[in-house]
Amino acid sequence: MIIQALAFYVFAAIAIASGVMVVTSRNPVHSVLYLILAFFNAAALFVLIGAEFIAMILIVVYVGAVAVLFLFVVMMLDINFVELRQGFMRYMPIGALIGLVLLAELVFVGGAWTFSGEATQVMLAKTPEIAAVHNTEAIGNLMYTRYVYLFQAAGLVLLVAMIGAIVLTHRQRDGVRKQRIGAQIAVRREDVVEVVKVTKGGGV
Amino acid sequence: MLETLLAHPYLAHPFVAGYVVPTVIIVVQILAIVVPLLVAVAYLTYAERKVIAGMQLRKGPNVVGPFGLLQPLADGLKLFAKETILPAGANKLLFLMAPMLTFILSLIAWAVIPFDQGLVLADINVGVLYLFAISSLGVYGVIMAGWASNSKYAFLGALRSAAQMVSYEVSIGFVIITVLLCVGSLNLTAIVEAQRTIWFAIPLLPMFVIFFVSTLAETNRTPFDLPEGESEIVAGYFVEYSSMAFALFFLGEYANMILMSGMTSILFLGGWLPPLDIAPFNWIPGPIWFFAKISLVLFCFLWVRATFPRYRYDQLMRLGWKVFLPFSLFWVALTAGVLVTFDLLPKA
Amino acid sequence: MGATSIPVMAPAAAEIFLAIAGMILLMAGVFRKSGSMAVVSWGAVVALILAAVLVLTHGGTSAEPVFFGMFSTGPFAQFAKLLVLAGSAIAIVMSLDYMKREGIDRFEFPVLVVLATLGMMMMVSANDLIGLYVGLELQSLSLYVIASIRRDSLRSTEAGLKYFVLGAISSGMLLYGSSMIYGFAGTTDFNGLAQVFSKLGDSGPAVGVIIGLVFVISGLAFKVSAVPFHMWTPDVYEGSPTPVTALFAIAPKVAAVALLLRVMIEPFGDLIAQWQQVIVLISIFSMVLGAFAAMVQTSIKRLMAYSSIGHMGFLLVGIAAGNESGVSGVLIYLFVYLFMNVGTFACILSMRQQGRYVEGIGDLSGLSKTHPMMAFALLIFLFSMAGIPPLAGFFGKWYVFMAAIESGLYALAIIGVLASVVGAFYYLRIIKIMYFDEADEPLDAEIGGEMRVVMLVTAAVTLLFFVLPAPIVATARAAASALMGG
Repeated sequence: MIIQALAFYVFAAIAIASGVMVVTSRNPVHSVLYLILAFFNAAALFVLIGAEFIAMILIVVYVGAVAVLFLFVVMMLDINFVELRQGFMRYMPIGALIGLVLLAELVFVGGAWTFSGEATQVMLAKTPEIAAVHNTEAIGNLMYTRYVYLFQAAGLVLLVAMIGAIVLTHRQRDGVRKQRIGAQIAVRREDVVEVVKVTKGGGV
Repeated sequence: MLETLLAHPYLAHPFVAGYVVPTVIIVVQILAIVVPLLVAVAYLTYAERKVIAGMQLRKGPNVVGPFGLLQPLADGLKLFAKETILPAGANKLLFLMAPMLTFILSLIAWAVIPFDQGLVLADINVGVLYLFAISSLGVYGVIMAGWASNSKYAFLGALRSAAQMVSYEVSIGFVIITVLLCVGSLNLTAIVEAQRTIWFAIPLLPMFVIFFVSTLAETNRTPFDLPEGESEIVAGYFVEYSSMAFALFFLGEYANMILMSGMTSILFLGGWLPPLDIAPFNWIPGPIWFFAKISLVLFCFLWVRATFPRYRYDQLMRLGWKVFLPFSLFWVALTAGVLVTFDLLPKA
Repeated sequence: MGATSIPVMAPAAAEIFLAIAGMILLMAGVFRKSGSMAVVSWGAVVALILAAVLVLTHGGTSAEPVFFGMFSTGPFAQFAKLLVLAGSAIAIVMSLDYMKREGIDRFEFPVLVVLATLGMMMMVSANDLIGLYVGLELQSLSLYVIASIRRDSLRSTEAGLKYFVLGAISSGMLLYGSSMIYGFAGTTDFNGLAQVFSKLGDSGPAVGVIIGLVFVISGLAFKVSAVPFHMWTPDVYEGSPTPVTALFAIAPKVAAVALLLRVMIEPFGDLIAQWQQVIVLISIFSMVLGAFAAMVQTSIKRLMAYSSIGHMGFLLVGIAAGNESGVSGVLIYLFVYLFMNVGTFACILSMRQQGRYVEGIGDLSGLSKTHPMMAFALLIFLFSMAGIPPLAGFFGKWYVFMAAIESGLYALAIIGVLASVVGAFYYLRIIKIMYFDEADEPLDAEIGGEMRVVMLVTAAVTLLFFVLPAPIVATARAAASALMGG
């Protein structure tokens, strides 16, 4: 158990430290890389609590796909860091104030936390025994039955995101020659090859 | 003998017995996987040159050692002896981290690969997702290398690679889902065991083909080697690398090829299972079958390289998004439909 | 949990239909090469009308919430959904001409409106904090895109971006608050929450719940653009294309107010002592700011933004009352608000000078000479918004103020009356410009056929509401009692 505790503190500490670095590092590419590190440690924490499915999905989706595209975009950005810093200093006090207020609230809430007596009775989905059903199966059992409404609705949200991305960025450009595979395959020999009888000394 | 050794007072100490001994055992197991793997990588480069040479009616390496068998060692020595060059404008840390990352990622994935019934370093519940996750991380080595090199060719290669790998991962994901539908588990051993009656390559033949082509794209192999594209962007993301840094990329890439072949064998070719469970076949131990299947898939990798010209980038994207993605999605739906209709769903 | 048990879906028939219709329209738009805007738009209008029919036939029963308690129907949801559907359908009709003239006639616009409407209906029917959030996001995400649909214009993209960033912050607040409430109650289900909060002792809820509740209110107040979460409204209203502004002013507001009402009354009904003062405060701020800030505007779209902030303040009066007459007052107000706003925007969308759309208040000068009918219609709408009897707007205000007095919020009612007196000033200013100023450059004579119909109908409803208010009032009362009882 000592190893588990140790691992928890190591992962948690790295996650927080890299979270801080995401905000403070000077180079946006480094920020994204720290973000990825934070994701990794979050996944490791999930593994520690026995939620290996979510851990792997976190890595596949966030690290393997989302963050790659982040990095893709950030690498191509042309940002003037000095200018960025100026804005930062100007808005720092108000940002710090809001952060402080939120932190105070969290402390306040954390200090006086109670669960209502009814909490366990009204709980929607009882957590199954971890030994009886392993977590991939448990998630699968709920996702497409109890939460089917949210699942489908989330699908619609993603559809809207896709439509939005296309509406706002896709441009039909003139003068682009696209490959038309159907047309290429439909070409017949007679259309493109002409057999010419060349007379001697006459040329084509 | 072992028991008397373990009973020795030094080893019976709780700290030693609880932490040191398991650590030593795990390290030994890891070495037992990694060392043969690196040898295999070395000889994969040799095999590549020999196979392609054979297809092009050449001889291939034949000078260093008998049949040129020592050629990989000579290549390795040469790379060791070279100078590591750090480009002046490079981001030093990331520049050096990129090849290490590629190499490490290509090794850690092997932790969950079962070589035989029970012969696996870590038999985790979500093995196939772990493999998928690790293979999707491979892109970071490439992107970091391309960006940190501070060179336009490297950067172009990195961008190409990022777009390409993310695109083909999507169809790989769907292929994996189809297999999972037929197995009902994410555990790699269970996936292999489910193929006792029939290898998935037969009922899921189209997905097998898609998976194989996608692994070609995922490992940046011909005909999808646009990130490297030596004739257009002079080796792409590792144009600035030399010496051991380059060697690490090289090793990582070939280890990835072997890994992907292993994944193909496990998902579609029945892993360590013999093709038929009858006398002459089941005399041969499982790991040998597994090795043979990996070799077969690897041969196809080399064969493809010797046969096909490189895709154009728009064709690559079209194939991934407009052909593979809809088709694999359709097959997921079809497989699920067939399994439900004929009540073939695996019982949990 | 059997694998073959299919959930009851009939109460959500309208939503399911609308989702499928949205996807079909999208496909139709993609595969028709050009000129698909008109077809898809009318298709969307038909789909919205059919959905309204389905709401009428399937959505009225106060049955048990379906989808495992995620989705609830009943007269209240039915009333709000019909308003939302009407608002969206009219907004699409009004956009047709404008979009074509401005060269932004893209078929995605009606599709996104349909999906946004679906999101609004899900919000109205939400019976779970997660369902609420997902519906809200579906609505908001579509609206962010629609706001910047004129993507080559700096102002439109700026509007979309501002809306997006601030909207994301408000969603964050909503989620933060929801998580605190979930942490306390152990459920996100509205019925479960109500059950938990009904059994609190004299000590009241934990401090975390109150903070969570405040965050949820803040997030929802952002969506209804109540002060102090209104900052985005004027810029977004001004920057977006005018038909989009019309949509923003109508449908999402109706949905968000209905949602706020449901959240306050259903799960947190027993915490009224905790939330009433918050709602009262933002209500006062909204009414006052809406009235004073609107006076100095020169763009009619900005003016409408502040006007809608003011209206939200009045609507919040009804919510703050927290009793049955408050709820019915809010519903009547929403009904009236819909017609007044649709009519006003129909007028704004008819303001053209030599083929160009204009949106300055000064451009209306001399309207009574050039377009007497339109000027008269606008007069009706503006008087109604100012709350002058016997126009419809007066009744809306009357009912919410009466509800406030009923629950003892005298100060709030008095401030509301004073704010509406101040607000009358800027509406009268427009009327003065229309009737007494000389036109520098008259507006184009031609007004589209759809606009004429819209103006005529909305003006008639606004003007003649006092003749026959009974059906609407009775429906609203029934809806309110269903909500309070449920």
